Amino acid sequence: MSTAVPSVAAPCIHTRLHRLATNLGEKCGFKSLFAVIAAAILGIGLLSFPPPAEARISLEKCTLCHGKSEFRKVLVDGKIRDIFVTADSLKGSVHEKKTCVDCHFDVSEIPHRVRPRRVTCTHCHYKGNAEGAPQWDGYLAYFDSVHGKAIAQGNVKAPMCQDCHGSHAIVKTKNDKSAVAQQHVAETCGRCHIEIYAKYRTSIHGVAVSKGIKEAPSCTGCHGEHTIYGPKDPKSTVYATHVADQCSKCHASVSIMSKFGIETEQVHTYKESFHGVANQFGSRTVANCSSCHGTHDIRPAADPLSSVNPQNVPKTCGKCHPGANPNFAVGKMHIDAKKKEAGIVYYVASFFKYLTIGTMLALIAHIALDMYGRSKRLRGGK
Amino acid sequence: MSVDEKKTIPQQEIDREVEEAISTETAGLDPEKATEIREKIRKRVREEMEREMRLRTAAERRDEERRRREERRKEKHHEEGEMFQRFNRNFRFQHMVMFTSVILLIITGMPIKFPNFILSRLVINLWGGINNSTLVHRIGAGMLIYFMVHHLFYTILSRDGRRDFLLLIPMPKDLKDAVQNVRFFLGKEGEKPKFGRFSYIEKFDYWAVYWGCIIMIGSGALLWGESIALKYMPKFVLDIAHEAHSDEAMLATLAIVIWHFYNVHFNPERFPGTLMWWHGQISEHEIKEEHPLEYDEIMAKRKQQAAAEGTN
Repeated sequence: MSTAVPSVAAPCIHTRLHRLATNLGEKCGFKSLFAVIAAAILGIGLLSFPPPAEARISLEKCTLCHGKSEFRKVLVDGKIRDIFVTADSLKGSVHEKKTCVDCHFDVSEIPHRVRPRRVTCTHCHYKGNAEGAPQWDGYLAYFDSVHGKAIAQGNVKAPMCQDCHGSHAIVKTKNDKSAVAQQHVAETCGRCHIEIYAKYRTSIHGVAVSKGIKEAPSCTGCHGEHTIYGPKDPKSTVYATHVADQCSKCHASVSIMSKFGIETEQVHTYKESFHGVANQFGSRTVANCSSCHGTHDIRPAADPLSSVNPQNVPKTCGKCHPGANPNFAVGKMHIDAKKKEAGIVYYVASFFKYLTIGTMLALIAHIALDMYGRSKRLRGGK
Repeated sequence: MSVDEKKTIPQQEIDREVEEAISTETAGLDPEKATEIREKIRKRVREEMEREMRLRTAAERRDEERRRREERRKEKHHEEGEMFQRFNRNFRFQHMVMFTSVILLIITGMPIKFPNFILSRLVINLWGGINNSTLVHRIGAGMLIYFMVHHLFYTILSRDGRRDFLLLIPMPKDLKDAVQNVRFFLGKEGEKPKFGRFSYIEKFDYWAVYWGCIIMIGSGALLWGESIALKYMPKFVLDIAHEAHSDEAMLATLAIVIWHFYNVHFNPERFPGTLMWWHGQISEHEIKEEHPLEYDEIMAKRKQQAAAEGTN
């Protein structure tokens, strides 16, 4: 039996029928029943229609038109949509073993008279699916995200799964060639957010990503992947009171920062400053990391274009402190009073530390002696 | 005519005197007019007498109440003896303004110094958020500044203020008293040192307040008007002010809560607390124990006054 059935066609048909059984069957009994029916239909199929011919004809039918390199459609707005697809398009992708109609399942005749609907990835990628497709509920988070809500409101420009992950040539995220791999996700997002991409590309983070540094943050490193919210949404990772936490995920890590010669003291010195404390207690108007360093166009402080370059500090601080002048830049930023690099502030802190310790020791000793004397006289009295 | 004699005169006598005066003044007038004037004068006299009676009654009532309260206190605490006024009303008002502002400043300032402390978020939310908390902090700062200005004027313009200031200046006797006190604690000295109106402990507290206020108000003013301050001085000056403000706040809080609260409220002689900050009075027992030299001065002054009155 097995030797008689071609390996190419049988698994596909069997898989589709099995999925159908799983969808409809809610109990083991039903599942077993549908399995039997599936086997019967499979047998009938083998007897009635030759699968090899069917499979081969089906694939050839699609590529009959789509296989031509000049095959394209002129849209109503004058743009040209290239719909050239060959049998090699799926090669190397995670869907290599699928056929055209596995995703484009609404195509029932060839040639199809209307354009097929956009592919719905959740057809297979739902939790508990039998395909073995990644069982992730990221799509549920996506529906709640700014992109998902834009789709629900009918925004045709909002991205769906294939706009980011790709359409035919989808590879795993860990693969460096993936459209959503760390090295390429900025380009992917930049197709819509082109102004932001232009800023990011020349920023210190963008330059680091282009050099192949794995630890550098790309778009998804800060904004999230499927759970992207607008920056004014309290659920966003880049909301005013969440920015410091998001940046500190990398910048508070000594193991990461030591590779690039960057200090980690900025994180705890910011959190101890009035800016950090007020931000932690919910103030949205107080400065956070991006208020000074910028958002997508972050540059090293030595860069003349950097917003934290000493020459640009008055302008940066002046956003909140009107009338800011070069005095704002005289002295170390992110000063840590416990380190000697802080200069005079370190000595002031040391003075008060020892003054406090000395004074309180003397006063407490006085109190202790007083109590000792009283108890002694009391016992002496008895 | 003395007051006592005045009281015993019956109403009849007064009426008779009034009648005689009226007769004398109205001798040359028409009978009708004389009658009219007589009624008017009699009514006026009655009103005046009633008013005087009311005033005297209220004054007597207050004195009687005070005397009764004093007797009641003596019955309950006969060992205390006489009560002396240690702090006047002005001084007590200053102290209340000061401690109210300091309490507000500590409550609203400590969450900023220790933001991760378990109660900090609760305290911030108590004021309705960080913005309200900083507003209350500045109200407290305003009160503290007012207190300092008021105290300077009190010290300069008030007789009590000048006297107290001179008495609060540190003297060599204070060092001697401190050494003797420690020896007394250790049992090496049989007798406690004799303090005047202000012991070295109180002098320390007083000058510590000056030190604390100068640093806190000075650095706080720079931080309050940070944008303005940065127009005239570099950023590292503000960094110094921030550090000094934070550290001095810690020192002041510890000194107040541990040292001042122990000496004034929690030491065994006064536990669980004294109300002298409210009524400003000190008992004879306490003044003899804590401020014997001042007690001697008061007694000497009284003796002197009595002698002077005797001479008159």
